[in-house]
Parts: sequence; C-alpha cells; structure tokens
Amino acid sequence: MFRFCAIGLVLLAGWTVYLDAVVTSRFEGRRFEVPSRVYARPLELFEGASISAGALERELQLSGFHKGAGDKPGSYQRNGRRFVISTRGFSFPDGDEPARRISLTISADRVQSFSVIRGEAAPIIRLEPARIGGIYPAHKEDRVLVELSQVPALLPATLMAVEDRNFYDHFGIAPLSIGRAMLANIRAGRVVQGGSTLTQQLVKNLFLTRDQTLLRKGNEAIMSVLLELHYEKDDILETYLNEVYMGQAGTRSIHGFGLASQFYFGQSLGDLDLHQIALLVGMVKGASYYNPRRNRERATERRNLVISEMEQAGLIEPERAARARGLPLGVSERPSYSENRYPAYIDLVRRHLARDYKEEDLRSEGLRIFTTLDPAIQYAAEFAVTDTLPRLGGAKLAESLEATLVVTAKDSGEVLALVGGKDPRFAGFNRALDANRQIGSLVKPFIYLSALQRSERYTLMTPVLDKSFTLEFDDGRRWQPKNYDGEERGEVPLHKALSHSYNLPAVRVGLDIGVDVVSDTLTAFGVDTPISQYPSMLLGSVSMSPITVAQIYQGLATSGFNTPLRTIREVTDASGEALSRYSLEVEQVADPAAVHLVQYAMQETMQEGTGRSTYNILPRQLTLAGKTGTTDDGRDSWFAGFSGDLLAVAWVGRDDNGATALTGASGALPVWSRFMAQVPQHGFSPVVPDGVNYHWVNTERQALTDKYCDTARLLPFIAGSEPAQTVSCSGTLERRIRGWFEGLFQ
Amino acid sequence: MKIKTTFRTGLIMTLLALAGCASGPGGGIYVPVGGEPAKAPEPPRTSAGEDEAPVWRKSEQPAAAPSEQEPPRSSSPSYRETGDGLSPAALSLVREADGLLKQGDAAGAIARLERAQRIAPRSAEVYFKLSEAYVASNRLGPAEQFTLKGLSLAGSDTRLQRAGWLLLADIRRARGNVAGADQAEARAAAQ
Repeated sequence: MFRFCAIGLVLLAGWTVYLDAVVTSRFEGRRFEVPSRVYARPLELFEGASISAGALERELQLSGFHKGAGDKPGSYQRNGRRFVISTRGFSFPDGDEPARRISLTISADRVQSFSVIRGEAAPIIRLEPARIGGIYPAHKEDRVLVELSQVPALLPATLMAVEDRNFYDHFGIAPLSIGRAMLANIRAGRVVQGGSTLTQQLVKNLFLTRDQTLLRKGNEAIMSVLLELHYEKDDILETYLNEVYMGQAGTRSIHGFGLASQFYFGQSLGDLDLHQIALLVGMVKGASYYNPRRNRERATERRNLVISEMEQAGLIEPERAARARGLPLGVSERPSYSENRYPAYIDLVRRHLARDYKEEDLRSEGLRIFTTLDPAIQYAAEFAVTDTLPRLGGAKLAESLEATLVVTAKDSGEVLALVGGKDPRFAGFNRALDANRQIGSLVKPFIYLSALQRSERYTLMTPVLDKSFTLEFDDGRRWQPKNYDGEERGEVPLHKALSHSYNLPAVRVGLDIGVDVVSDTLTAFGVDTPISQYPSMLLGSVSMSPITVAQIYQGLATSGFNTPLRTIREVTDASGEALSRYSLEVEQVADPAAVHLVQYAMQETMQEGTGRSTYNILPRQLTLAGKTGTTDDGRDSWFAGFSGDLLAVAWVGRDDNGATALTGASGALPVWSRFMAQVPQHGFSPVVPDGVNYHWVNTERQALTDKYCDTARLLPFIAGSEPAQTVSCSGTLERRIRGWFEGLFQ
Repeated sequence: MKIKTTFRTGLIMTLLALAGCASGPGGGIYVPVGGEPAKAPEPPRTSAGEDEAPVWRKSEQPAAAPSEQEPPRSSSPSYRETGDGLSPAALSLVREADGLLKQGDAAGAIARLERAQRIAPRSAEVYFKLSEAYVASNRLGPAEQFTLKGLSLAGSDTRLQRAGWLLLADIRRARGNVAGADQAEARAAAQ
C-alpha cells in the first residue's frame, strides 16, 4: 500500500512538473506577445505645404492632439485659418524630431506664415504620425490587447462580482465553491455547475479542451495553483481579460474584451457605458448562448442580471442600475473586427511585410511599421466611394455594386490610400488587391505607346482606320471587333482614336505592331502574370487587379519610369532600431518621348474625349490625364488617371461579374472625379522631354500649318517625325498680310 | 577611376546646389479645393459613412498664379519646358543630406533626399542628388536610373541637361559601359 502510494506520488510529482512547464511557457508566450504598431505617414509642415484647414485639423485629431490653447505638448489652437500647434516630439527611424511650438495659417489650401515659436528653428517639421492599427493575428484569433491600467475599473470589478468574488484572496482554486458545485452535480447526476475561479477559467481557455471530464478538472486545478504560484494576480487578471472567449465570427474566434468591444459595439473598450460592460461580462458565461445579435432577449435578461449584481456589490447606485436596465443592448448592426480603421490598406501592408518578415514576428515582436498612408487622402477616397456609389445607375443596381479606389503619389509610387469595397471598414474580401477583372480599354495607352516608340511609323497625327474587319484564326474561328457605339468613322488621327477610345483603330494598330510587342510593354510596366496573346487582348480581355493597374499606369504618369508601389517606408524594432528601409526606386522602361505623346492623348481624353465629364465637377485649371475602361455589358467600369501629384484608379462593378448599365465614364469616372475634387493639388503639366518638339499642324492634311488657322492643333512630335510639308490656312492671303503688318509695327 | 568619378560628381553637385537656391518654383498650376466646410468633419471612425461629408464647392479663391509661363489653353493639353526648382523646405533637406554625405552617411542622406523628393517630386536636382548619394554608397545601378529620371525633368534647362549627361557619363564609365558613357558625354557637349 505504501509502495503504491509512493509510486502514485512520484507520478503526480512528475506530472506536476510537466504541467508547470506547460503553464509557464504558454503563459509567458501569450503575455509577452507585443503586436506590431502601424503608423500613417507623418504630416510634414513647411511654408507652401499643400493642405486644407479641415484636413489639418482632422490629421491633428487622428494623431491624438487635443484642441486647447496649443501651449501644452500634444495640443493645438485653431483660430479660423490660424493654427498654433505644440508637438510632442517623436523618434523617427532617421532621427529625432524634437518637441516644438509652431504657428501657421492656411490660405488657399497652403501652409503660410510658417514659423517655429518655441524649440529648435527649422524650415520643415514632422508631426508625430497617427497610429492606424496593429498586427495581432494569433492562432486564427484576432486580438485587441488591453492593459489592465487602461481598462475602465468597472469591468474587472463587475467581472469579479459575477464570476469570482474572492479572486484576490484564493490561491487559484476555491475549494468551497468546488464543493458546492460538486454537490449540485451529484444531485443532478451530471455536470451542471462550474464553480471555477477566474484563474481556472483562464487555464481552461489557454491550455485545455472544453470537455467536462474529471481528469481535465484535476489538471485544471493543478495548473491553476501553479499559475498562481508563478504570477501576480494582476497579471493573471490582465491575461484573462485578453484571453476569454467572447464569440465566433465564421472561422475566427473572438477572444478578449478589447476585441469583443469592437466586435459587438464598434467601440473601444475605454468608451463603453456600464450597460455595455454588463453585457460583455454576462456573455462570459456562454458567448454563443447569450449572443446579443442572435438571442436578443436572452442576452438582455442576462445583462440585467449582471447589472443587478453590480448594484448588490455596491459598484453602482440603484438609480443608475435602474436606468441601465431600461436601455437597449446598444449592439452595432454589423460586426466590426478590429480597431483597424483601414483594413484594406493594412492588408496590403501585411502582404508587403510578408516578403521580409515572418508572421509570428509581426504579431509578437512589437515592431514599429511606418507606412505611406495619407489619412487625408484616405478620407477623401472613402468619401468618394461611399458617397458616389449609391447614385450610380439607379437604386436597384447601386445596391449590387461594389467599388475600389487606389491612390498613389505619382512620382514616388507610395500608396496613399486604398478602398477595397463600398464598406471601407469591412476587413474581408479586398477587391483592390484580389479582384482580377478584365481591364477593357485601359490597355489602349500601352498599344499606342508601343506604336509611338516606332516614331518612323507612328505619330499622334498618323491616320488610323476606324473600319470593321474580320479576323479568321487557323482553327476556323472568326473574330469581328466592334466600336462601343457601333459606328465607323473611316480615317481618324491616332491621338483622337485614343482620346475617344475607338476600338477598331486600337486593334488594327495593335495587330500591326504585334500583340507580343504590346504584351512586352505591359510586362515592362509591371504586369507580373502571363498575358494572353490572343488579339482580343488588344481590347482588354486581360485581367488585372486595381492595384496592378495602378502599378502599370505609374509608368505612364512618370514619363516611362516604372516606380514600384510601396506602402512601407521603414520598419524598426521595439526600441526604434531600424530593421528595413524600403527606398524609392525608379527604372526607365520606355522612351520618355513616346510616353509624352501618350500623355498628350490622355490629357485630350479629359478635355474632349471619353473623360470630359470630369470637368462637370472639377475646375478646368486642374489639368488631368486619364483613360476610361469598360468591358462587355458594363461588367467592369474602370477609370485610371493622374494629376500633377496623384495617380488614382477607380473600379466599379459587381462581385458576381454581372452586367451593369455602366461605362467607364458613367461608373468609375464619377468616383474618381469626386475624389480628385476634394484634394488640393497641382495640375498635370509634363516637362517636354529632350527630343520632343511641339508643332502647329493640320491633322487632316498631314502637314505643318500656322498657329492662327482654325484647323491648327499643337501636337508634340518626336524629333524627325514631324511632317515635312506646310499648308497655310486654306491657302488664303489674309494671314500673310497680317503677318506683314505685325512685322511692321513691332 | 572611382575617385575621378566621385570628384566630378561632387563638383557638378556643388554647382547644382548653388544654382538650386536661385531657382524658384514653377510649372504645374496648384488648384486649391476652395471653401472650407463650416465645421470641420470628424476624423474617420469605425462607424463608416456617417461622418459629415466634406463639401465640394467651386473655388472661392483665385487660382494660384500660373507663374511666368504661358497659362495652358483650357482646351489643349498642358506641358512645360522645365521642371520645378527646389522650395526652401526641400533645399534645407538637400543641405542636410549634403552634410550627411560629407560625414560618409549615405543611408542617412538618402532618407533626407527621399523626404525632399516627396515635397519636390518634379525637381531634377533632387534626383541628381539621389544619384550622388547612391554613387557614394557604390550602388551605381540606382544611381544611373535616378540620373535618367532627373534628365526627364531637366527639359530645356541646359545647365541641368549638361550636368545630368556628364553625371550619367561618369556613372556609365564606372559601370564599364564605355559606349554609353561616350554617348552621354556627346549629349552633354551638345547642350
């Protein structure tokens, strides 16, 4: 008997040592996982900086500045157009930005009278960047980690009142409660009561399965005691708050009060009212049984019970309790998964990070990630999508429509904003990255660019045939492309064929220079997937995501320089030590002269071609260049275009790839224009590259002509490709005489 | 060979930096959005779409002066003969970068120059400076590309054209591309 007991004790001791190792390693792993912090780009302030007063104020609030006298660090004062800002100072990867007090006014959407009132003088300063999210995925769980010190005191107090009144006194288990529970279980003949302490519940959540067996109960008790031996009560409580199971969203489980607060109320934990805290604490008993979205009544009953317990425990006064019991649940209609305001953008950041970092490092090493997101641009982009979409194509169609908008800085390739769908807070399918759709006429600039690089054969003036034809393949199939409007115009000059997006000339030119040449151009500009070599590719049967379209249009916007899109500038470790920099890169992939000619026709698109309706809402001084794209039956409506500062790509269509009545001009362009209308910026005015000259020409006669002729058009030509002959305005003397007099009186 | 390259690059750059002070901003017309909303909209929150919308109004302010260049005709595509100069803010960053380069901190210089590039993205000088910083860190591939980018913005400014082509010639020679270097030198001489 003694020997038997001794063996039993040794086994138990061994088992306890094993459990101890499990407990400490797992608990430490969970507790010290620090999520990565993601920052927006810092706002740079200097004389002449482009920003509106409203955008500056929004930016300040997003970065956590308080409105006030502007004298304490982290506060600002606004007096009409005048701002006084006291910055907190920030440690950037490339150096410290000291705290300063600055003063400036905003006039015509520009910073003026910029001066540093206090602190080190500088002609340019950076505000501390806004925190736009964290990267926390762990074990298919999303978490919004909270610290005990940040949690409203009522939450842990209520939790203890309801679940474990003696939490601060017991040693992990409460034998009295267990005894009570056992008695109840024996009476019922099955397990009906838990009697678990918070520590036991945490152990169950962290280490064990959900079965209610005796063995598991035993392990749970031993591990709870071990946990209490190793750690402080507050550590255990904090971990509990972050670990407790609070519901399910598809395959993802919702753990912790921080995420639950987002998920059920769309609010931060710190902003919750007492009735909301009561609901969350009530749900601990059974998150799906008391699911407030599915079982409203049951959840309300449970919440009110918790409120009564709060009252009995003296946590709240009876009047407050009564008032709280009368309130609705206050649960948001749709679940919101994280504090992440910009899920589509953060998604792209994560994919870029995945090239260099392991997922577990991102979620646990406390990295600091400095992104290129511009909150003002993102705000305008989200507004453009959510405000424009409901008005497109009638209410019924609008309901089924989705949209994306990608915005980049034209010359740096930094992704400034990304909208992945009509609900910018939705963290699911990211259309901007994953919706591969046919690009339609967005391919045409690349056809004409390929042609114009052969300046001995093609100029902007070259007549191209707008006339139908049939292509017969070897296998007997036939292909007969058509214009969108079904018309045929005979000969049209190349620039007009592009600006008006005629199909037949595009296919003819594409076939003339070769589908493979066009395909090579697309690849050089950044398409990284195989491109179909069928002639239908010339009408955009090739599929791309909006972000890829933005990438290839970057080269058109920057005169032939491929500029890889970036979302991250720098990554540092938790102590601020730089880990990676993602530098600006440029690579010339096309002759700037030929790109300049395409840019001309893309500007013409906006002024007289398929994009002209943009100027119904934009001022004419804002010179723009762009291209519409439409696929069969309006399944995809695209617009890609740029100003002097920004490149934006808009897509509108249905997720089921169904038909719409929209074209690029009536679907995506309104979204695009609405976005552009909200952002102060420079017009597009490209520098004429070496080797390009502008000439006044008569395109019909294929000849140089005089500036004053009605038919005259100022066109750029690659040197040597300009026409040799000259015609006067219908050959009249009038102009020559005037020329004489002009000469005489100068 | 490398010493000679760096020397000439430095010389060109000193000339450029000095000239940079003198040139003012030009080119692309700045178009403000116009009237501010009466009340500043709330910052974006998790409850989407309920924020007060910014109001688009036709500009109440006169458009920024279109500099000394001919304003574009409303119905014809816009272009210009030269890129932007460096604003005082960009110039201060370029000078910081110069200081860092002198101390041998090419990475620090590149970080400053990228900030300058973001606020003066159409200035040829910024790209030539980036090229210099990449030459200093012995990464001639990016240096060549930044020179080409700068040249695409030099337009009719013969000073910038000449400096850019000479810089390109040096880089190409250092990379062993003698024919390309000769070609670039010929372009410089033709300016």
